[in-house]
Amino acid sequence: MTQFDTQDPILAEITGPTPGQMLRKRVFGHQGLMIGAGVLVILALIAVFAPLLAPHDPYAQSLMTRMEPPVFLGGDWEHPLGTDHLGRDYLSRLIYGARVSLMIGGIAALISGVIGTAMGVAAGYFGGRVDMVVTFLINVRLAMPVVLVALAVVAILGGSLQVVIVVLGLLLWDRFAVVMRASTLQVRGREYVAAARAIGASTPRVILSEIMPNIANNLIVVVTLEMAHAILLEAALSFLGLGVQPPTPSWGLMVSEGKNMMLFEPWMVLIPGAVLFILVLAINLMGDGLRDVTAPENRS
Amino acid sequence: MKQSSLRHTLAGLAIVAASGAAYAEKANDTLRVAFTKELENVDSYFNSSREGVVLQRAVWDGLIYRDPITNEYSGNLATSWEWIDDLTLELKLREGVKFHNGEPFNADDVVYTVNFVAREENGVKTQRNVNWMKSAEKVDDYTVRIHLKDKFPAAIEFLSGPVSMYPDEYYAEAGPSGMGLKPVGTGPYKVVSVTPGQHFVLEKNENYHDSPKGQPEITNIDIRTIPDVNTQMAELFSGSLDLIWQVPADQAEKLAEMDQFTVTNESTMRVGYLSMDAAGRSGDTPFTNLKVRQAVNHAINREELVAALLKGKSKVVWTPCFPSQFGCVEEAATQYEYDPEKAKALLAEAGYPDGFTTEFYAYRDREYAEAILSYLNAVGIKSDFKFLQYSALRELNMTGDVPLAFLTWGSFSVNDASAMVSQFFKHGSLDDARDDQVLADLEVADSATDPDTRVEHYTKAIERITEQAYWAPMFSYNTNYVSTKEVEYTPTADEVLRFTTMGWN
Repeated sequence: MTQFDTQDPILAEITGPTPGQMLRKRVFGHQGLMIGAGVLVILALIAVFAPLLAPHDPYAQSLMTRMEPPVFLGGDWEHPLGTDHLGRDYLSRLIYGARVSLMIGGIAALISGVIGTAMGVAAGYFGGRVDMVVTFLINVRLAMPVVLVALAVVAILGGSLQVVIVVLGLLLWDRFAVVMRASTLQVRGREYVAAARAIGASTPRVILSEIMPNIANNLIVVVTLEMAHAILLEAALSFLGLGVQPPTPSWGLMVSEGKNMMLFEPWMVLIPGAVLFILVLAINLMGDGLRDVTAPENRS
Repeated sequence: MKQSSLRHTLAGLAIVAASGAAYAEKANDTLRVAFTKELENVDSYFNSSREGVVLQRAVWDGLIYRDPITNEYSGNLATSWEWIDDLTLELKLREGVKFHNGEPFNADDVVYTVNFVAREENGVKTQRNVNWMKSAEKVDDYTVRIHLKDKFPAAIEFLSGPVSMYPDEYYAEAGPSGMGLKPVGTGPYKVVSVTPGQHFVLEKNENYHDSPKGQPEITNIDIRTIPDVNTQMAELFSGSLDLIWQVPADQAEKLAEMDQFTVTNESTMRVGYLSMDAAGRSGDTPFTNLKVRQAVNHAINREELVAALLKGKSKVVWTPCFPSQFGCVEEAATQYEYDPEKAKALLAEAGYPDGFTTEFYAYRDREYAEAILSYLNAVGIKSDFKFLQYSALRELNMTGDVPLAFLTWGSFSVNDASAMVSQFFKHGSLDDARDDQVLADLEVADSATDPDTRVEHYTKAIERITEQAYWAPMFSYNTNYVSTKEVEYTPTADEVLRFTTMGWN
């Protein structure tokens, strides 16, 4: 906020819009960001209020009404998106599946974000040996194919929601580390960092209040990318039968369960596939948008 | 069937594509078949899969043959047989039979084969198939005696099933792995090429002896392993396969609606059951409690599973064996009707009013496993679901680390209760019940020569097993055979594809 009354046209002409106003204008003027964030908010609300929104119990099995088609293919409104191979309501499973996807995406991104940011910032700020060690770890991590390692670990430990979240969280920190290291390197030589040091600020203080705020925009972009990455990996693992275990509803698992009937009932694969696509697209649109509106070249 | 233009678009497109490509292989006299599972070794003593049985019946012959429809025994490589005493079976062998490599068939081959497979250290995969034989002895070139370890009334059934005759000179040299790569038998089809686990090419044996199996009609059989049923169907549509089998019920129903395929459903001897660790081999599990096991039995709606998932000729099964098997007395089995409330009450009585969580293993038919899991969930038995490969689960099972599992057993199509109930309840490594009373009854039933005594003791064993609810037997399987209209084939109820009885329309 500013101490000037920006409503005053003369003052506004002299001072121009405040940074906050400019940011708001950029945010609301960015179509991709708005669409992505909008879809994501809707999906998040659906996930949070799943018990209120789902028309049926997502676990209630009814073998006598298996594979009923969705409304638009001749089904009835009792099951708007049809039923699955065990007669469970498809819409309800989709709604509860949003919880699984968002939870995995969010927590895995959080875990890897904490690990990667700590390593990257430490490497960038301290340089020297710390940097060498971190760079080495990043290279080691980059040399491992994520899907293969995740498959192997999950196969050994057994698939469950917790295992998948932890495994993905521990595997996806590389991009955080790389980006945070590079960003920290860029800002640590800046005058305001030197000034903070000169007035005697402690290292944690310098990192937390001088460096972090100035690299946060990059962090947010990586968070969105990794969230989308984790969601897709969970779907892949579940599709292969090594991710979230039945009867937990997961979109990847739904694709896998519908796969056998793909030739005759393609909607069983198309519906969960489509929502997965929309969710990942929304997250990526939002990530792109955030980069656009926060990148320095767009500030003027 | 619900009408909808969109729903069958894919299938419709496939039909259009198929109409141009059909009739392709009848001209070449080559039948193209798909296997779903990878066969580990063609040598029939060293695999335990259905695909192996199919190849075994095509490439090799047994001494005796059982007609799959009338169930009557007739001579195949033997022409007659006679019990000298309870432990000695004398067989007269057919003369003039030659193996595919030209080696003549005689008593030496029988002696070598029996002596090889009967020795436990040679590692025949399913010991039950062979471990009733002690040795074989040559009387003259075309007479042999097979000595039994113990009285074994099902001997003739096993000799007509899994025990096939191998060429002694060739087998001594090639061994199981050589035999797996270049199989040599006396059967109606000889093997032209084997790409392990993937591709098998068979050719008609022009010099096939006058066997009750009948003379082969189709010249070439081309078998490919295609694990995914959608791919199999796509290839059937496009005309690059002529016959697929083990097609899941849902898909078979849809294929039957399209009228350019013949869909036949036949029952099989395979029984699906839940095995529970009653002996507590996996540690302190709730399944050591009889009430918990009874609760599991009451929790499952078998009728619904059969009607909605398995369909076809499947039936509800209450016995730990397939009802057509000799000694598998259906009336002896306790029937646990579907009653989730009773199941909950039993769990509460057992000290689990809020249920419990257990590991639940399965290796095939994920869909059925999920449905079962959902029934168990409904009464409070929560599970940590583990879906493994068959071999991995079998190994875990042998070490007794499986509290609850959805398993199936096909008895190698042997029509005798000993092939199933005695396989699992005689304190072997797969026995999670370890009941001495059952063991005692099975010992008698397996070795008595008097059929009535056998039935009496199988009845007792089945009574005890089902009263104690060691298993929750659930249903029998069926299998769907889908072929193009050019193929003429009437499947039998034992899940064995018989190439000799196939022809072209």
